[in-house]
Amino acid sequence: MIRFEKVTKSYAGPDKPALNQVTINVDKGEFVFLVGASGSGKSTALRLLLREMRPTTGRVYVAGKEINRLATWKVPRLRRQIGTVFQDFRLLQNKNVSENVAFALQVIGRSNRDIKRMVPETLELVGLADKANRMPEELSGGEQQRVAVARAMVNDPMILIADEPTGNLDPATSAGIMKLLDRINGTGTTVLMATHDHGVVDQGRKRVVELEHGRVVRDEASGVYGYQH
Amino acid sequence: MQLRHVNTNLRQGLRRNASMHLAVILTLFVSLSLAGIGLMMSKQADLTVDVIGSELQIQVVLCLPDDPQNASCTSEVTEEQKSAIADAIEDNPEVADVTFESKAQSLEKLKVLLGPEQFEGPDPVFTVEDAPQAVRITLKDPNDFDGTVDAVANLDGVSYITLAKDEVKPIFTLIDVLQYSSWGAAAALILASILLVANTIRLTALARRKEIEIMRLVGASRIFIALPFLLEALVTALVGVGLAIGAVAAFTQFAIVGGLGEVVKALPFIGWPEWVETSLVLLAVAPVLTVVPTLLLTRKYLRL
Repeated sequence: MIRFEKVTKSYAGPDKPALNQVTINVDKGEFVFLVGASGSGKSTALRLLLREMRPTTGRVYVAGKEINRLATWKVPRLRRQIGTVFQDFRLLQNKNVSENVAFALQVIGRSNRDIKRMVPETLELVGLADKANRMPEELSGGEQQRVAVARAMVNDPMILIADEPTGNLDPATSAGIMKLLDRINGTGTTVLMATHDHGVVDQGRKRVVELEHGRVVRDEASGVYGYQH
Repeated sequence: MQLRHVNTNLRQGLRRNASMHLAVILTLFVSLSLAGIGLMMSKQADLTVDVIGSELQIQVVLCLPDDPQNASCTSEVTEEQKSAIADAIEDNPEVADVTFESKAQSLEKLKVLLGPEQFEGPDPVFTVEDAPQAVRITLKDPNDFDGTVDAVANLDGVSYITLAKDEVKPIFTLIDVLQYSSWGAAAALILASILLVANTIRLTALARRKEIEIMRLVGASRIFIALPFLLEALVTALVGVGLAIGAVAAFTQFAIVGGLGEVVKALPFIGWPEWVETSLVLLAVAPVLTVVPTLLLTRKYLRL
């Protein structure tokens, strides 16, 4: 489903490359934690997947397609297959829960009939069916992140990318979000989650890919945050 | 496409940047008005050339019976005289082009110059018999006319020669000054309006950065993201051009049709048909002036 093939990404300036000859293969339906310290290259990897930029060398594949060769006008279609969740939720404060989720469908031109059907279904999935009319400021951090997950999932993407989704949440709320992501993964969606959160990774017991200075230093099928001794 | 979403965004955008849009409309209004006046001036110059000749031209007026301009002309110019005159002109290296003007064509030009009243009615002041035939010579260089004048001046059948250079130069100089100063000022103001459009887009992109970021991430197409910006540009362009067309209409009415046209009878003036042509040009140009920069700038500022 996702493949990085000897990917190197260098930014302008004398610094070492953000990613250096990285090769990662993620199968359909897998749940992968991408871990590593700040500056290890996690965010760069996610941005390459979304075709926010192209690698300096190497190839990135999504669903068998080499996305760095994708024409610019086809990039929106790629992004419709990838849901994205961030640490800071990125909700629109002037829209309520339902409108925030519907926004993701409106801007890709889905019909009102589809929107009326899909939004409540997705809010049900994330457990916010009863808060559809609340404004973001009326919600807790965990609930706001659920709205963000609903927005990412409403178009039924093949892949969910989560960049530190529990970074702003307490451990109990984080566990709730992890359960939700696990459930989404259970429906066949491939989940790639970049995180610093030791507790979440240790409890998840899922595949862990660790980056350090832009290189893959560990790839374990059922790992924890640090090395297992 | 979600028209309601686009419509809501358009209205919000116009309201959010009302003062900026007003600035764009005003600069577009002034710049397009000046461009329109420049265009009218160029049409005026063309019309003037048609009727009284350009400064590159020499008019050789041929004899009439009892010619009031030349006592030695006793009869209408003959075909033999005309062909001798034509030979003399065509052999001259200073000449770029020659056209013969019949009595009827000459009469038409007189009508434009003097107004139709003197040519109408049961006993008109001028008839086709009073209109002289002429040869209109276009020179390669307006200052190289001696050879041509010398070659034809003493030929039989020539009544007199006019050098358009001396007569029309001040008129063309005035028209040129008006035309180019209008265009120069219009170009500067159009640049200003493009810079204002750029600023508006930058401010809007900043105000809507979160929304635009989400749109990009969930896979909204580039045209969908840029559409509210393009529509805002189009609305401001249409308001600006509407005002400019009105201003050019006022110029046409007060400066030309009811102004110079009434006072200076010796020259032909443009009128409403030219205003219609100019308005169509402005209508075509204005959206391009705002929409094309918007397309380019949205790519830059919205990272599309």
